[in-house]
Amino acid sequence: MALHSAIRGKLISVIGDEDTCVGFLLGGVGEINKNRHPNFMVVDKNTAVSEIEDCFKRFLKRDDIDIILINQNYAELIRHVIDAHTSPVPAVLEIPSKDHPYDASKDSILRRARGMFNPEDLVR
Amino acid sequence: MPTAESKESAGQLLDELYLDMFHLIEEHTKCRINIERTNASGAILLARTKYQQGGSTISTAQIPTENSGEFNALCRVVSRTRDVDPKTSMEISIERHMVDKENGYVEPLHWFSVLPPMSLRGAVLKFKDCIELVVESTNLQRELNTVLRSIGKLRQYVARQ
Repeated sequence: MALHSAIRGKLISVIGDEDTCVGFLLGGVGEINKNRHPNFMVVDKNTAVSEIEDCFKRFLKRDDIDIILINQNYAELIRHVIDAHTSPVPAVLEIPSKDHPYDASKDSILRRARGMFNPEDLVR
Repeated sequence: MPTAESKESAGQLLDELYLDMFHLIEEHTKCRINIERTNASGAILLARTKYQQGGSTISTAQIPTENSGEFNALCRVVSRTRDVDPKTSMEISIERHMVDKENGYVEPLHWFSVLPPMSLRGAVLKFKDCIELVVESTNLQRELNTVLRSIGKLRQYVARQ
C-alpha cells in the first residue's frame, strides 16, 4: 500500500507520558510509516533512559521530522544529547506535562541565551 | 586593520541583537506558558472522559503500535519562506488533511471511541490549539537560535580586534 507517496510537509514527533502522547495523537500528529516506524513514544515508569535516548536519536536522524516534542522531565534525563543538538532542524521543544510544569531555567535554548550575557564578558 | 568606526558599528549591532534576543526570550516564555495552559485544559478533559467512561477507555492500549497498519498524520508542518528576509529565516505553519480512510488518513478519535463523548471532543480541540502554539513556539525558537548564532559570531569578531 503506497500511502506515503508525494505527501507534502513534515511531521511533528512526540516523546512523552501517556496523556501527552494521547493528546497530541488526538490532535492528528501521529503517523506509522511504511517501515512501521511510529513518530511517537509513550514513556512510562518502566521505560529505561537508554530507550528514550535511542528514540530521540532515531527521530533526529529522520529527515521527515521537523519538530520533536519532549516532556521537559524526560528531556532532563537525556540533557547531554539535547544540548549537543544545536541544528535548527529538527527543532526540539521541551513541553510541560501534567505533573511537571514548565521550568524556563532548564530549557536548552534559554540556557544558551543566558550564556550570552555572562557578567564577566560584559566587564571585558 | 579595524578602525574605531567599525568597532563602534559592531558594538551597535551587538546591542541590537541583544535587544532582539530579550524580546524573543519573552515571547518564547509566554508561548510556552500558553502551551502549558492549553495542555493542562486538554488533560483535564481527558481525565473527565476517563472518569465518565472508565479508566481504560483512554490509554496507551488504544494507541496504534509498530504492529498496527500504516497510517498518515492528519497534521503536517509546511515551510513558507518569509517575505522579510527569505535567505535567513523560514517560517513554518500547520497544514491539516481531511480524514480519508482509503488513503490512510484515519480519524484518531475512533481509536478510543466510536461515539466520542463531548469531553473527548473538547480535549481534541484543546490539543489542536496546542499544536498551533507548538508551531508558533518553534518559529520563535528558530529565530532565537539565529540571533544567538549571530551574537556568538559577532562577539568572536569583536574579541579578535
